[in-house]
Amino acid sequence: MATNVEVAHATATASLAPRLTLVEEVLKFARTKPLGAGGGLIILGMMVVAALAGTLAPYDAYQADYALQFARPSAEHWFGTDEFGRDLMSRIMYGARIALFVGFTASFIGCTIGGLLGVTSAYVGGRLDLLLERLMDILLAFPQLILALAIASILGPAVQNVVIAIAIPIIPRAARVVRATALSVKENVYVEAVSALGAPQARIVLRHIVPNVVAPYIILLTAQLGGAILAEAALSYLGLGAAEPTPSWGLMLSGSALSYAEKAPWIPIFPGIAISLGVFGFNLFGDSLRDALDPKLRGR
Amino acid sequence: MTTRTFRHRPLSAVVVLGVLIGSVVAATPTTAAAQDTPRRGGVLLAAIGADAPGLDPHQEQTFATLQPTAPLYSTLLQIEPGNYPNVIGDVASEWSISPDALTYTFKIRQGIRFHDGSPLTSADVKASYDKILFPPEGVRSIRKHHYSAIASVEAPDPGTAVFKLKFPSASLLTNLASPWNVIFPKKYLDKDPNYFKKNTPVGSGPFKFKNYVRGSTFEGERNPDYFVKDRPYLNGYKFFISTETSVRAAAIRSGRAYVEFRDLPLSEVEAIRKQLGDKVVVQQTPFVIQFGISMNNTVKPFNDIRVRKALTLGIDRYTAGRVLHPLTGLRDVGAYTRPGTEWAIPQTELEKFPGFWRDAEKSRAEARKLLAEAGYPNGLKVTLKNRNIKLPYQDLAVYVIQEWKKIGVEAEHRPLETASWYADGRDQGNFELMVFPAGAFVDDPDQLLAPYITGSPQNWARFSNPAMDDLYARQARTLDPAERRKLVIEMQKIALDNVYTAPVLWWSRNVVHWAKVKNWVAPPSHFTNQKLQDVWLSED
Amino acid sequence: MRTYILKRLLLMVPTLLGAATLVFLIMRVIPGDVALLIFGGDQAGHIDPKQLAAMRQRLGLDDPLLVQYATWLWGVLRLDFGTSLWTGQPVIEELLIRLPLSLQLALLATMVSVIIAIPLGMLAAVRQDTWVDYVVRVISIGGLAIPGFWVGILTILTLVIFFGWGPPLEFTPPWVDPWANLSMMIWPVLTVGYRFSAVTTRMTRSTVLEVLREDYIRTAWAKGLRERAVVIRHALKNAMLPVITLIGTEFAFLIGGLVVTETVFTLNGIGRFVVDAVAHRDYPVVQALVFLIATGFVVINLLVDLTYAWFDPRIRYR
Repeated sequence: MATNVEVAHATATASLAPRLTLVEEVLKFARTKPLGAGGGLIILGMMVVAALAGTLAPYDAYQADYALQFARPSAEHWFGTDEFGRDLMSRIMYGARIALFVGFTASFIGCTIGGLLGVTSAYVGGRLDLLLERLMDILLAFPQLILALAIASILGPAVQNVVIAIAIPIIPRAARVVRATALSVKENVYVEAVSALGAPQARIVLRHIVPNVVAPYIILLTAQLGGAILAEAALSYLGLGAAEPTPSWGLMLSGSALSYAEKAPWIPIFPGIAISLGVFGFNLFGDSLRDALDPKLRGR
Repeated sequence: MTTRTFRHRPLSAVVVLGVLIGSVVAATPTTAAAQDTPRRGGVLLAAIGADAPGLDPHQEQTFATLQPTAPLYSTLLQIEPGNYPNVIGDVASEWSISPDALTYTFKIRQGIRFHDGSPLTSADVKASYDKILFPPEGVRSIRKHHYSAIASVEAPDPGTAVFKLKFPSASLLTNLASPWNVIFPKKYLDKDPNYFKKNTPVGSGPFKFKNYVRGSTFEGERNPDYFVKDRPYLNGYKFFISTETSVRAAAIRSGRAYVEFRDLPLSEVEAIRKQLGDKVVVQQTPFVIQFGISMNNTVKPFNDIRVRKALTLGIDRYTAGRVLHPLTGLRDVGAYTRPGTEWAIPQTELEKFPGFWRDAEKSRAEARKLLAEAGYPNGLKVTLKNRNIKLPYQDLAVYVIQEWKKIGVEAEHRPLETASWYADGRDQGNFELMVFPAGAFVDDPDQLLAPYITGSPQNWARFSNPAMDDLYARQARTLDPAERRKLVIEMQKIALDNVYTAPVLWWSRNVVHWAKVKNWVAPPSHFTNQKLQDVWLSED
Repeated sequence: MRTYILKRLLLMVPTLLGAATLVFLIMRVIPGDVALLIFGGDQAGHIDPKQLAAMRQRLGLDDPLLVQYATWLWGVLRLDFGTSLWTGQPVIEELLIRLPLSLQLALLATMVSVIIAIPLGMLAAVRQDTWVDYVVRVISIGGLAIPGFWVGILTILTLVIFFGWGPPLEFTPPWVDPWANLSMMIWPVLTVGYRFSAVTTRMTRSTVLEVLREDYIRTAWAKGLRERAVVIRHALKNAMLPVITLIGTEFAFLIGGLVVTETVFTLNGIGRFVVDAVAHRDYPVVQALVFLIATGFVVINLLVDLTYAWFDPRIRYR
């Protein structure tokens, strides 16, 4: 989407940033970008919940208790129970796993394939570059959700298919950004110098180009992650996401959840908040990361 | 010659009015109608959950086609509005049946005109039925197989239509009251049998076609020349199409629509009642649709009766009715015919069959034992395919999957789009277990038991039992109701003994409408009583 | 300028050709027999092999792949996408019914997003790293994080529960009844507009920040308020160019991209048409729509770029 013009622009120059140790970087980031740090905290929290869902969740996410259909939030069930009497908090905790899984794998697959294509395109140049660029143009012409919808409908509803459907539209977007960065690195004097000295091609790519595209790659990954979680929710809403009784956030919001908005508002509200908060965290973090890595916008 | 009509049964009247639960109390519209004098005018606004795939009812099978188009047409006979399942005439004023029950002669009312001004005669009846019974190449006829008893339709004079039968058919009159079998003008069918698939509908019903914006609205306006005197009361009707349930419910709450003819979830109904109080009426009726699990009898391990029996024993239907009713409307425990009707196996007898025992724990113990005997002492992994529609399909699956866990059966749920669901279930048999609804527009054994005979396209479970086939054929030809009832019940018992499929629950529906919509009674099917000729609005 | 336009137009040809090819290929990788799947959806009873053969023939599935491809391209050239399997109407006709609504929705939503985004973006830039900046960014990023359908239905419910008012259920063109039109469109327009303002706000913020770093602005900043005001106004003009591109792209995206919004708000637009066609396995419609949406996107992007070039002559000579 259009934002990537901006990402490309911002990250093309990111590689020129002075190097600090990791700890220093993190501290500096937290100091100068409190919003980004907030986003990071949300992500961290989500990861902890997802990793420890087995221990943290008070109940089995699949276990229905028919004596407790539509129970309101209470000391036993903090977020209440759903229409089958399943504990909503446990379902949301396990849902974090699925959200992170779909988000991470989809954006990882998309960004990695896109990134590899971008680097290849920039490094090889010439006709291959032209061809790949055209191909990415074509893919970009399809709205993300429509492309995902078409793919998901062909593959059928299942978590792994959702991942593929979301990953494919990310490819051209990632390829764009990474190519731009790789090109600017390639044009940089030092790579030219190395290559004049007769270093092997593979080494140039691995030692000089790849490290420099890591920053934009990470920014991209974070930026697409939030979008991927949201796309999963939208596909679930349209009936093409994960299958019941999987505790997927999107699925928990779709179907009749919204019909219960008045009778048991906690049923649509908590999963909605979980999605919004998760996506918000990733977007906030990604946004600040971009600012931090763009020397032009660095603090005064 | 003797004239026989189906008698209205007191039992069905109870059923029509419905069992009303909790705070949802319905004012009976018929009583209200009796007190008030009908008011003329106004446009009935209705919300509907899907857009019609096509406008020719002969060729479609969804309410999305039937509800908007039914008011435009007449049928030969009809289910009496407000008096389900009594059959009365529509364009036929009277009829007689030959003593051998092989010739049905219908008198066609004189003076009926189609909306284009041309007269409706028996030639039009014949042309329409010929299209249904013997469709020319390239013309679909969805319910052709319900009419296998009919040998020919003749029109000896403009006022008489004669149906000749190959064998006596107990359900014939009911089947001729099918709301799907609308009478088209012959001259258009002569031009192109698929004419009404694409073109403006021309019928002889109480309303004329006005406008249709695909995906958005469907409108009809009063037919001033309708053959029933002083009908219809309404100036017109208009359907708004929205696939989103909460939006349709919101449309009723805000008064943008006065009625949703199919069904709304109970939670929405409660919310609407809370906000609008007496301004709305809720009619809760049973629904002639049973939801169950079809087991593919041609695939291992479901060709083993012990496994099938274990799976059906694993579903506690009585708890299911309690849990799923508020969510989905699935409510009544029954077999292959609707509980409470004369065709149903009496409850006390039903409870002796596996899966219908009152004691759920005993059922589960038996299920685990059977699984162990069949070679699955450590449980079984199965795939349950389903249609990707939340209500009631997915909720039923969630419940069943949860239940099966208790007997060590781990089911993976695979919802499919409608098209793939049909393709895998009906056409290719590409499934192990499948959520399967069986229903009809009326409680008729011919229709309801058709899924359980050899080679029937509705026989998704793909089993064959010659004794059942024989019973099916015999009941269809048995004119004596008591005798027929015995055969119908015997056939179901064989099916239950062999556990070819697992019927789970019969559906019920909640129809909400504004109280100002008068004189409309919800029958136990969303296909009948949709002509709207007697409906009126007490205010705009 | 003319060479530039020509060059851009020529570049469009391979993109569109590629899009047509890609759509064709996607529709051919569907596992299983498409004709069987189509029948599966709408025909009770056993499938008549004759009808199946007829459907295959109608879809051209019996032809060699290359012939099918050529037929499809030839159809695309003549804007003939065949008829919908679901309704039997020409695809183009079905599309034209729904286009005005989607166009209006996209246009209004873009306008709303601009009205929200530009002042907020500038404010955030001028007050960079203060609480004002943070609040603006939290608000705008929040818009991107909330699922559209969730907000949509909660909006409708709120209106109904608290005001007993619901939006109209059918589209009235604005020239027929502006009030009815507005009362239907306003909620989807606001939700989509807010959502999309996030991207524009961010862009405005960063371009303005960049401009503010330029030396002449820094000098003006140092000199005092009056000077500042003049220069900022001047600087903004420069900052706005990339923002305008972004808005154009956004608009192009919105025309076909409002799948969820149109479904939630019962808007009979192009996005919902795609969803319905997918659900009905109406492949000719899916194929045509996906291609046409891509084409619309490419064409509008071209127009945006040309406008950009017209404003900024440097582009043309790159």
